[in-house]
Amino acid sequence: MAARGEPTPTWQRGKVASWLVTTDHKRIGILYIWTALVFFVLAGLMALLLRLQLSQANADVLSADRYNELITIHGTAMVFLVVVPLIAGFANYLVPLMIGARDVAFPRLNALSYWLFFLGGAILMLSFFADGGAADTGWTAYPPLSTQAPGNGQDLWILSLHILSASSLAGAINFIVTIHNMRTRGMSWTRMPLFAWSILLYGWLLIAILPTLSAGLTLLLLDRGISFGPWEVQTSFFDPADGGSPVLYQHAFWFFGHPEVYVIALPAFGMISEVLPVFSRRPVFGYRAVAFSTVAIALFSWLVWAHHLFTVGLPIPVQVYFMIASMLIAVPTGIKIFNWLATLWRGNISFDTPMLYALGFLSVFVLGGLTGIYLAAFPIDWQVHDTYFVVAHFHYTLFGGAMFAIFAGFFYWWPKMFGRLLDETLGKWQFWTLFIGFNLAFFPQHLLGLEGMPRRVYTYSNESWEGYNLASTIGSYVMGVAVLLFIVNVVRTSRSGPRVGNDPWQADTLEWYATSPPPPHNFDEVPYVTSARPLYDLRRKLREQRGERALG
Amino acid sequence: MRLLFALAGFVLVAATVAPSALAQFAPVTPESPNADGIRDSYLFVSIFVLGIFVLVEGLLIAFIVKYRRRNRPRFEDGAPIEGTTRIELVWTVLPVVVLFLIAAFVFIELPGIKNIPSAGASGQLEISVSGRQYYWQYEYPNGVITIDDMRAPAGVPVRLEISAPDSDVIHSWWIPALGGKIDAIPGTVNETWFEAQNPGVYRGQCAELCGPEHAQMLASVEVMPRVEFALWLEERRAAQSASAIELGKEEWGGVCAKCHGLSGEGGIAPRIAGSLVLSDPTSVEDLVRNGRRTMPAVGSGWTAEQVLALTNYLKENPPNGG
Repeated sequence: MAARGEPTPTWQRGKVASWLVTTDHKRIGILYIWTALVFFVLAGLMALLLRLQLSQANADVLSADRYNELITIHGTAMVFLVVVPLIAGFANYLVPLMIGARDVAFPRLNALSYWLFFLGGAILMLSFFADGGAADTGWTAYPPLSTQAPGNGQDLWILSLHILSASSLAGAINFIVTIHNMRTRGMSWTRMPLFAWSILLYGWLLIAILPTLSAGLTLLLLDRGISFGPWEVQTSFFDPADGGSPVLYQHAFWFFGHPEVYVIALPAFGMISEVLPVFSRRPVFGYRAVAFSTVAIALFSWLVWAHHLFTVGLPIPVQVYFMIASMLIAVPTGIKIFNWLATLWRGNISFDTPMLYALGFLSVFVLGGLTGIYLAAFPIDWQVHDTYFVVAHFHYTLFGGAMFAIFAGFFYWWPKMFGRLLDETLGKWQFWTLFIGFNLAFFPQHLLGLEGMPRRVYTYSNESWEGYNLASTIGSYVMGVAVLLFIVNVVRTSRSGPRVGNDPWQADTLEWYATSPPPPHNFDEVPYVTSARPLYDLRRKLREQRGERALG
Repeated sequence: MRLLFALAGFVLVAATVAPSALAQFAPVTPESPNADGIRDSYLFVSIFVLGIFVLVEGLLIAFIVKYRRRNRPRFEDGAPIEGTTRIELVWTVLPVVVLFLIAAFVFIELPGIKNIPSAGASGQLEISVSGRQYYWQYEYPNGVITIDDMRAPAGVPVRLEISAPDSDVIHSWWIPALGGKIDAIPGTVNETWFEAQNPGVYRGQCAELCGPEHAQMLASVEVMPRVEFALWLEERRAAQSASAIELGKEEWGGVCAKCHGLSGEGGIAPRIAGSLVLSDPTSVEDLVRNGRRTMPAVGSGWTAEQVLALTNYLKENPPNGG
């Protein structure tokens, strides 16, 4: 709030206190990112335990109860506490800078979003210590299993998700209002950075879907029964014995859950659309096509939820509709992929770490997208639904897609956020380790699913599944090494990384016009925007002026 | 342009050799027409998936190699091309065509996957399947009940009516070689079928997380020659009426032992070997019918025959704790 010119009270000036009370979008963005990275490490360690249990047939590392708690919290945390908040962190940091604004529209609401996220995350993680342990019914929490689950873990899971939903909703409103109202002079819709486009759609999608999740969770809570003083409520929305329907919850959950995948994927796409052109020295191919395909994906993603319910026995015409709607998403997604490829065409490509991650994203995300076609074709889904084929599919989209893009984002924007470059050598080692580990961990899971291994089993006795499982476990530990390399990189360069100035990559968008890191008010002045590449225009103008002077 | 032709050729070759190479990248060998139809659809989709995969990865690698920086200055501009509408239209329309072909193929295969063949000369068998924590209970038309292991005649369409008791949770019936999965949902009856030609034992397991012992909820279908099956069904009927312990043994192994251990030594549930409850038929009946604390009502809806089979089995084979 420096712009307002009010003196900061003394107690808020301390190193810690200033972070606790901050309403600066950049500091909040960094808080989001650090907190989400801590959760990333925790949820990643859970995955390593799960893989250890599955490395052999009939292994005895984890009990059935503990295994189910870990899959539940691993999945819930990776979606709600890691990828979504990482994106919220990047969006917080970057969107105001990219659109030439001084902050988001509602800075204090923004701080509230972060602290609600922190609270929701803490509740979810601490629920391991609850009576009966953490929730153990999967991140989808289908009733009647979740309504019958004893203990308080499931209730805390519901509470945590309610709080996280409120956090996301407030954040979404903030981003939408900011993008609609605070773009700098000259930045029309078709001159806005593609990452800002993706965050706009991220916001609209969240507003469209979160209320349905909240409703579903509330019904779940009421079905589990709540008591408040002398009042007790025990409903049966999902209890067939009393005329309810367990499938109703699945509709509510996936009406939220499927678009949520695109809430994650769209900003990841947005990051790729920022990184690829800069390291190809090209304008993005088909700006309008890429921007409008973002809108199309967001819209379609909202109409396809029941492809997660192909095995509940829906009438065939309903399944046909959801198959066709789901397949249609492949069209705008294909448009993006081909436009990205065309951006490389006739470029001048250099392979700095951000670019390696962006290219790595392209190569693995394609497979995640293609396996989606099998899942959309409902008779094939009857065979592969709820197997490791699905586990492989969504890790290819959520890790291979989102996390690869997010790592591209880290290496690309790190010098803007902290003024120092991350180490390139370590970064490249990390990329190759992660790329190999990732494919080793998740490719064999397609084959396991085809051979009949269901997901969410804490053990198996079929020894012909051991080879693929062992490969997958080894791959997951290689991924662990890659994450360790990232931590080492961050720690080492925090003191000794080279300072590289405002615009180390000679990029195109406004965030690179600010200093690295930017001052609290971001810019002293913002250049008038005349295209989607304001800094490119500025550099050209400078060159022309210099050229004229030299000629004259 | 030459690059594009080379790629197109590569895609064509890949698409023709794909079906045989993909055999191991496809669902397990089908033993029933519905599983067969699903596998055919899978292979058909795979042709396009493989083609697109090779095309995209091929272009990616080709562009990375061809347009890498080499000796050019770090920040020299690439071609200032901002896009062309014509090529955007190409890669918008082509995927629509591919998706249309895939959807059309699925529609052609669908009747053979979904529709139960009408009863032929050898008739049709109906078995009701009930998914329960953590076992499968099958009931044959003559009232015979088996647990976890189903038996079925070869060459006869078998219609399965799949459900779960109101007090239970959702399970999912799945024998990969005999077709896709379908959920067993409390309060709903779903339907699926198979018609296996070859005698053999086909294995599967519950595919919807149903609680801690979900992984132990295994199922198998033993397909036997028609005459043998008819004989088995009659013998089993007679044995069940005479309260033979065969069913009781299956119930102990499928219903009790998954949590309490095969000798009652305890597992995720307490040790029950030597428990006085087990020697008292009324207490056993009360326990399995109504459950207790965290133990679900595993025997809700059991017939008197079923309960008797279990208590008789326990009388003769009290679990010794291993």
